[in-house]
Amino acid sequence: MAELRKRGLVTAVIYSGPFRKLGETQARIFGVPELPLIEIPHPLGGVSIDEVRERADVAVPVFVDLIRKHQK
Amino acid sequence: MIATERLLEIPGAALEVDDDYEGIDAFLRGKNWTDGLPVVPPTAERVRAMLAYCDRPIDEPVAKIPPRFGEATPIRLAANAVMAGCLPQYFPLVLLAIEALCEEKFNLYGIQATTHPCSTLLVVNGPAAREIGMNSGHNAFGPGNRANATIGRAVRLAMWNIGGGIPASGDMSTHGAPSKYSYCVAENEAANPWEPLNVEMGYSAETSTVTVYGAEPPHNVNDHESLDGEGLLKMIAGTIAQTGANNIYYAGEPLVVIGPEHADSIAKSGFSKRDVKNFLFEHARVPLGNLSDDNIVRRLKQFEPYLPGLTAEQRDRPVPILKGEEAVHVIVVGGAGKHSVYIPTFGPTRPVTLPLKLRDGTLAKSVEDFRQA
Repeated sequence: MAELRKRGLVTAVIYSGPFRKLGETQARIFGVPELPLIEIPHPLGGVSIDEVRERADVAVPVFVDLIRKHQK
Repeated sequence: MIATERLLEIPGAALEVDDDYEGIDAFLRGKNWTDGLPVVPPTAERVRAMLAYCDRPIDEPVAKIPPRFGEATPIRLAANAVMAGCLPQYFPLVLLAIEALCEEKFNLYGIQATTHPCSTLLVVNGPAAREIGMNSGHNAFGPGNRANATIGRAVRLAMWNIGGGIPASGDMSTHGAPSKYSYCVAENEAANPWEPLNVEMGYSAETSTVTVYGAEPPHNVNDHESLDGEGLLKMIAGTIAQTGANNIYYAGEPLVVIGPEHADSIAKSGFSKRDVKNFLFEHARVPLGNLSDDNIVRRLKQFEPYLPGLTAEQRDRPVPILKGEEAVHVIVVGGAGKHSVYIPTFGPTRPVTLPLKLRDGTLAKSVEDFRQA
């Protein structure tokens, strides 16, 4: 992910709440501290397909916005 | 011998703290540099003594430990080994274990950061284990032996302090495990009726090795009744055949640790180690229907490589826990008693065995070979 970002591609990490610190730390370690982190409700495992879709509904617009900003 | 003065010249290598145990303890805890237990203060003199058993440049990384990817230099590892309570003679094995853990196929990043309760099991074979007095007998996985306890702890402290495996940050384990304090044994080669692990991995019996596993704590197999190998292996297979461990989904090469009395009975029934593995592969299976409906639907694709044509309706079809005859390690550890243990793994990990070698590549006959003039 960090390598893709360094090459100029649109990138983001999607995480659920408790994993924010891990994501922030890893982004810093891999030299991309500005890497967008998109939070979805926790948990991702052990939920119904409808609940997975709800989480996608949270993440997708944010990511689409990132793509639009990148294209400008 | 490395001059203490040189250690103190390395930027950031030394800190000044009042020479008071409680004060040092509070300082280290304040920095979050301990596993919660008290540690031996890593004074320059103690670190120097530890490094007397290292034949490499003290500030040249031997590996990078994820998830922080901190550089594991001998001096940093030595400080953690001192804190863990290691004798300097143990240090070559600590360093070797770190190298093995950081090989790519082990997937230390996953092991460190996962929600799974795996830790890093070290199994030591060969003369070095005997030389430093490791316990391979009664209570080998438990307390009471300095080498077992502190080598395992040194590795764990390095993973904490250098690798950043900090709870709720770099270590997301839901529960953790007591084996995250220390998890290190020697194989009981004297009681092993088959070839020991180092020989099975292609080394001579006189080559010391460390084998690392990304593993759960041991699960017991109590069998006081079976009179022959087939009965004992059936009970071991029954313990392996569970739905909760990751190995039902992933080919993570779990470990079967057979107690000496069980091993003796199994061998006397004519089973070679390969026969043992074949038996466990064939019998450690779980009917698909033992999984919940949601697991069957969502995980079906993971079973297909091992069960071609599998459908969710085939509830009676047995799912192999071991993903091949050779996808399991078998060793002998323990003292008297009718017990063996099964050790599931993280799953997306493979064991790594490394031989104890000097920097120039020659095999070490003794830990004393590392001692610097």
